[in-house]
Amino acid sequence: MAWILLAAAIPAFAQQNFDFKTLDKLGANATNSTNITLEGDALKLATSFLGDEKSSLRNLTGVYVRSFEFAKPGQYKEADLAPLRSYIKTLQWTKIIDVRETEETSEVYIQPLPNNRLGGIAIVSASPKEVTVVFIAGALNLSDLGKLSNLGIPDLGLGRDGKKSGDSGKD
Amino acid sequence: MNLDEELIAALRREAAPENFAAGVLAKTTLAKTPSSRARDWAFRRPAIFALAAVLILALVLPSAIYEYRRQQRGREARDQLIAALSITRVQLQQVQEKIRRNTRHRI
Repeated sequence: MAWILLAAAIPAFAQQNFDFKTLDKLGANATNSTNITLEGDALKLATSFLGDEKSSLRNLTGVYVRSFEFAKPGQYKEADLAPLRSYIKTLQWTKIIDVRETEETSEVYIQPLPNNRLGGIAIVSASPKEVTVVFIAGALNLSDLGKLSNLGIPDLGLGRDGKKSGDSGKD
Repeated sequence: MNLDEELIAALRREAAPENFAAGVLAKTTLAKTPSSRARDWAFRRPAIFALAAVLILALVLPSAIYEYRRQQRGREARDQLIAALSITRVQLQQVQEKIRRNTRHRI
């Protein structure tokens, strides 16, 4: 029992310790940047202003987005994404998508929970002139996600066990 | 004149002047007639109203400002959350498109 509690506590502890501000250096040379950090009371306040959709998002604990566009290639270091990838690895989330093309990579991680729920979702997308990191922590009800399409959440096509059909590889 | 005679002379009862009572009344209760009181109230009323208004504003204004700022913060946070979810959606759509493209290539 103690081991189970310890195993559950380690990812939670690691989650609290990652500083998303360290990703801001990625955008030092960016021409366009989006920097969103919502957690704690600010996140609660945001969801309380959403109207009917708030019930689906009220269990979120953190929303972090860093998106940078560059005028030319080579304006950011791919190595600056390494701490985030290491951090996600410590969380033991499931990598459901890993697309690697010549100059682009896209990774999607989720934390599957019982009862058709997600514990979080992370997206790391990098191309020569653009890099985007999305990290959403907290319980999301998959059955409610369809209702949020007008707010920007698409249907992830996840099955009842919380894994994408045909891809269940764990990082 | 000895002491006894002096005391008798000093303490001798004398009748009050003819208009003494009327004079005293005129200087006390009669001086504050209802009309003069109304004049005083009319003179002080604006100041009392102004004081009441200031007190009410002092009580209501801070909470009104707090609520206004809370609404403003809430709207900003909501907009940020919607932007974050929109970016999430776009990213997932792009990933789906890449998967579709790669799958088509292999076929």
